[in-house]
Amino acid sequence: MNHLVILPVLIPLTAALVLLLLPRTARGWVATGAMAFSLAASGRLLWAVGESGQAQLFHSGGWFVAGMPVGITLVADWLSALFVVMGQLVLLAGFIYALGSREQVVHYPTFYTLFLLLATGLSGAFLTGDLFNLFVFAELLVISGTILTAVADDRYGVEAAFKYFYISLLAAAFLLLASGALYISYGTLNMAQLGEAIAAEATPLALVAAGLLLATFMVKSATVPFHFWQPDFHAAAPTPVSASLSSVVVKLGVYGYLRLTTLLFVEQAALIQDVLLVAGVVGILFGGLAAIGTHNAKRMLAYSTLAQIGFILVGVGWGTPLSIAAALVFAFNHALIKAAMLMMAGAVASRARIKSADFVHITAVGQRYPQLGLLFFVGALALAGIPPTNGFVSKLLIFSSGIAAARYVTLALIALASVLTLIYTMRAFVRIWWRTADAELPLKRGDRLIGPALLIALVLLIGLWADPLVTVATETARWLESPQPYIQAVLGQPALTESGVSAYLAGR
Amino acid sequence: MELLTALGIGLLFGVALYQMLQRNVIRSAIGVILLGSAINLFLLAAGSTNGVVPAYSTFTDTQADALPQALVLTAIVISMGGLAFIMSMLYIISVRYQTGDMDEVNGLRN
Repeated sequence: MNHLVILPVLIPLTAALVLLLLPRTARGWVATGAMAFSLAASGRLLWAVGESGQAQLFHSGGWFVAGMPVGITLVADWLSALFVVMGQLVLLAGFIYALGSREQVVHYPTFYTLFLLLATGLSGAFLTGDLFNLFVFAELLVISGTILTAVADDRYGVEAAFKYFYISLLAAAFLLLASGALYISYGTLNMAQLGEAIAAEATPLALVAAGLLLATFMVKSATVPFHFWQPDFHAAAPTPVSASLSSVVVKLGVYGYLRLTTLLFVEQAALIQDVLLVAGVVGILFGGLAAIGTHNAKRMLAYSTLAQIGFILVGVGWGTPLSIAAALVFAFNHALIKAAMLMMAGAVASRARIKSADFVHITAVGQRYPQLGLLFFVGALALAGIPPTNGFVSKLLIFSSGIAAARYVTLALIALASVLTLIYTMRAFVRIWWRTADAELPLKRGDRLIGPALLIALVLLIGLWADPLVTVATETARWLESPQPYIQAVLGQPALTESGVSAYLAGR
Repeated sequence: MELLTALGIGLLFGVALYQMLQRNVIRSAIGVILLGSAINLFLLAAGSTNGVVPAYSTFTDTQADALPQALVLTAIVISMGGLAFIMSMLYIISVRYQTGDMDEVNGLRN
């Protein structure tokens, strides 16, 4: 029992409600402060996990029956703690960007409240050890993200929000059905208990639940073929929000895949990994080509997310400890890079004559802002995976793990597709910074650049000193090798056997 | 009773999917409502048949499992909020395009 575990959920949630009582001018600063505090708590949590080498637990309510937790359990193991730190780091940068943003939407009365609720939903979904609780937090995440997009400055915000919300309702329906199916089969929704019981005996309904959960996470992470809402939604969202959506919120799906293959359905993992591998490769090719074909900078980056998520899926799909570690490093680095790039695309759009991220409107806008150009160039290099950035580290690890696993066909395909990344990022850079404008462009005050500058600094820092991140990812991959450590941590030593579970169910 | 519940759930799912695939926005919203009901009924059925002894009580006889009922309550509240929101978005969209046909809502297409 460690109360630190609930802080990354509790701090944003409390702050979101307290914010409504404060005067409007103070809300942004208080929200950013709360987010920084929450990031500190989650960093401390990751440290605690690393120090003890054990999952940290929080049993809400403290209800136990025969030594087994029956309340909702929050579990911070290596994977959860790493993803929470990643999410809150990017969200903090989003808040900092929102403070200096000139968009109308940041003056919306509940903007910061909803943004904090988004942070709550994301952290909660990563930390929870209960399947139904995952549904609740995912819904909180979806609803706050959708409202933020519906009130965006973008003309088509409401339509994009509707599209996303509709498909998310379906994903929520899948998740609910899966919870119901697992509850009928095993009488529990605790993921550790489920993992143990499914390994003992997989009922037909449990297999249906596996498919439904896979579909849910495919919608959440915008994996091909459930990707069609993503470019519209991420391009229409307000810049600080879309930076978080396209970088960390899609990682909820990645987290789900890792939990599916390493905890819940270990026996069936090979099939799930094959599906992910195919979806990942198709996503890489489709995302790269679509990003080249599009004519809007934010949309281009949204399509690029499809491709980058594909790389992570390939890493998860190979399923070796090395490739899972590579996928985790890739996920962390992509979160930083994509958030910075989307913020910079938004910053360029805010400086254009007509506020839009269409290439028609932002061509040559960069001429007057060379500092922004330098940041964007570094971000573009990182996205394409060129040293000395962290993108290089993640690509290197993915490729070397692929060579170690002797998956040469997939390797050739993704190596080919990563050239596409270089094409579209460089094309955007050339159009914005190297073209000469037809008429003299006015020097315009746009969104402040502190948020993306911080993220780009991190991109370079990790590119030059990747050791801590790679160590954490390797530890996480080692932790995920077997579901036993997680199950033992949640259910207590010694882990209950198959007969123990049925005795418990009969005893109830 | 079990067969009736199963048939009811199946029927609700069928009607919900049919309505969701319609182009009319109101029909698709009705589809979402029905889908929510179908799932709630499914969850309720998950706990209605297997009676067990409650964990924290002095009863010794079996009761209906209370957890699916709690799940359904949560799901109903969430889906009600979501539906109110989806309706308001549909209203804004249908006013902007003066139509209830989803095929004519094409602002995102270009």
